[in-house]
Amino acid sequence: MLTTIAQAVVNGLLIGGIYALVSIGVTLIFGVVKIVNFAQGEFVMIAMYISYFLAANYGIDPLVSLAVSMPVLFVVGLLLQHFLIRRVLALGDMPQIFLTFALSLLLVNVALLLFTANYRTVQTPYSDTALQLGVLYVPTAKLIAFMVAMALSALLWVFLHATDLGKAMRAAAQNRDVAMLMGINPDRVFGVAVGVALALAGAAGSLLMPFYPAYPLVGQVFVLMAFVAVVLGTLGNVIGALIASLMMGVAESLGIQFVGADSGLIVVFVMLLLTLALRPNGLFGGWSR
Amino acid sequence: MHGLLNRDGFWVGALLATALVLPLLVSSAFATDILIRILLFAFIGVAWNLVGGYAKQLSLGHVAYFGLGAYTSTILLIRHGVSPWIGMLAGGVVAMLASLPIGALCFRLRGPYFAIATIATAQVLMLLFLKFRDFAWGAEGTTIPNLGDSPLMMQFDGKAPYYYIVLALLAVGLAITYRIEHSWMGYYLVAVGEDEDAAEAVGVDAQRIKRNVYLISAFLTALAGTFYVQYIYFIDPNTAFSFNVSVEAALVSIIGGIGTLWGPVIGTVLLEATSALLQSWLGSGHGGVQLTVYSLILIAVVLYRPTGLLGVLTDAYDGVVRARMTREKKVPLDG
Repeated sequence: MLTTIAQAVVNGLLIGGIYALVSIGVTLIFGVVKIVNFAQGEFVMIAMYISYFLAANYGIDPLVSLAVSMPVLFVVGLLLQHFLIRRVLALGDMPQIFLTFALSLLLVNVALLLFTANYRTVQTPYSDTALQLGVLYVPTAKLIAFMVAMALSALLWVFLHATDLGKAMRAAAQNRDVAMLMGINPDRVFGVAVGVALALAGAAGSLLMPFYPAYPLVGQVFVLMAFVAVVLGTLGNVIGALIASLMMGVAESLGIQFVGADSGLIVVFVMLLLTLALRPNGLFGGWSR
Repeated sequence: MHGLLNRDGFWVGALLATALVLPLLVSSAFATDILIRILLFAFIGVAWNLVGGYAKQLSLGHVAYFGLGAYTSTILLIRHGVSPWIGMLAGGVVAMLASLPIGALCFRLRGPYFAIATIATAQVLMLLFLKFRDFAWGAEGTTIPNLGDSPLMMQFDGKAPYYYIVLALLAVGLAITYRIEHSWMGYYLVAVGEDEDAAEAVGVDAQRIKRNVYLISAFLTALAGTFYVQYIYFIDPNTAFSFNVSVEAALVSIIGGIGTLWGPVIGTVLLEATSALLQSWLGSGHGGVQLTVYSLILIAVVLYRPTGLLGVLTDAYDGVVRARMTREKKVPLDG
């Protein structure tokens, strides 16, 4: 029994690392640009297809193609901010939600047209191996994904706290008008925020590829998780999103283990609704400090 | 008294007459099916528009009420032999009851938080219907027993009766919207939609007004759910709680003109006509084309015409009218 629980916790933590990459992106865009990106999961999907095709056509390992998907998605983020998000910034909630929502629909359906609904997987030497830690069993691919995800999160934290651009982003998140008065160029800061967020989604996609199938709707699984984690962790709070994502992963995993294979999501949604009912501002509050 | 009685009254009358004779002119079942889809989604859009359009509460979980309506009438029909006509009203009541706790939870949130919470509630309902097999057939769903031509059980041989039922539903939805639009409730709703804090500051009970309009919207959406299962003779959680229904309800209103009486109708006609044309050009089996086009239209509308396409039509109409009768000046009702 204890072993089962511990094993479920380990599995949950590992997948929670991937949720963290997606939700940190969502919370970063929300914190800095004040827009909820409903299409964040679709960028995970795009990165998965990038890694899939690089692996299928050129035999490149998904961990290597991380070096392709992250920069590509960073540039996509800059373009997204410049051509779409920038134009709805002054328009209020509704057009902003419609825009990212339409983008999500568009990307899913274009992927469906181009790649069909088939599941695509990449088999790597470490896809089916696992480490034996006492009685616990740690799948190698998920462990690597988790460690890279944590390293990237730590890098982001350093970026936000130790570089001028990162500090400018935090300043813009705290008070956009004052930050602009201090000479911070909002377009540049917003562009980088969206770019970094998409690059994190890109990392999530490539890291998933060795153990998770790519298909057009795959992003929706992750974006729903990310939304829950971002609300739990307080919108705009990077550390909050990270901790909440790990909690979500564990909750989902325990739900699957003890309530049934189809119940992971129920546990997650019930957590979301309870949080909204009891602590609408999330568990942590405030911008990451 | 303006509006329905004079110039607009002429157009509404003409539109209604056309709608009434249309099934007599259209002989193919395929075309009638498209017309039924247009009226059904226009009706769902009209119901959504009360909450999403006038009160600007972007619900992306309206399928919750569609599904509850569908399941209530089906359970009553199959387990207890109750006519779907009664089941339809019962479904509406169930949806209203469900909208109270869901609304109490979600309306504490604003903007994107509200949208996310509504998605979550609809998903939870779907997962519950998937999980509890004994209660409602689980993932396999069930077919509606075919009783032949029995109007009392809302079952008909041809498609025309279904057309008239959903036309009547749409007419009811539009009439209710018209009444609300021209009542104090309508003005309160628009005030809450524009700026909730300012509305509360001048004494509008925003929570109560949102709850009331949500009740009406949930009731109407549930009627559509019952109609839909009776029309397709099949129900399962993935159909009854399909996220696409929530999306389309919002899309048609946004594209047509959010918070306007005719916006959802215009939007549905445009989207469904586009989709039917695409299908006849490309044939079926090109999954994704329809929603690709929908989303491109939506992005274009958001960027270039955030008030929706109804505005384009009324502007053009006004241009024509102004050219003819320079004395008449239309007072725009919506911003």
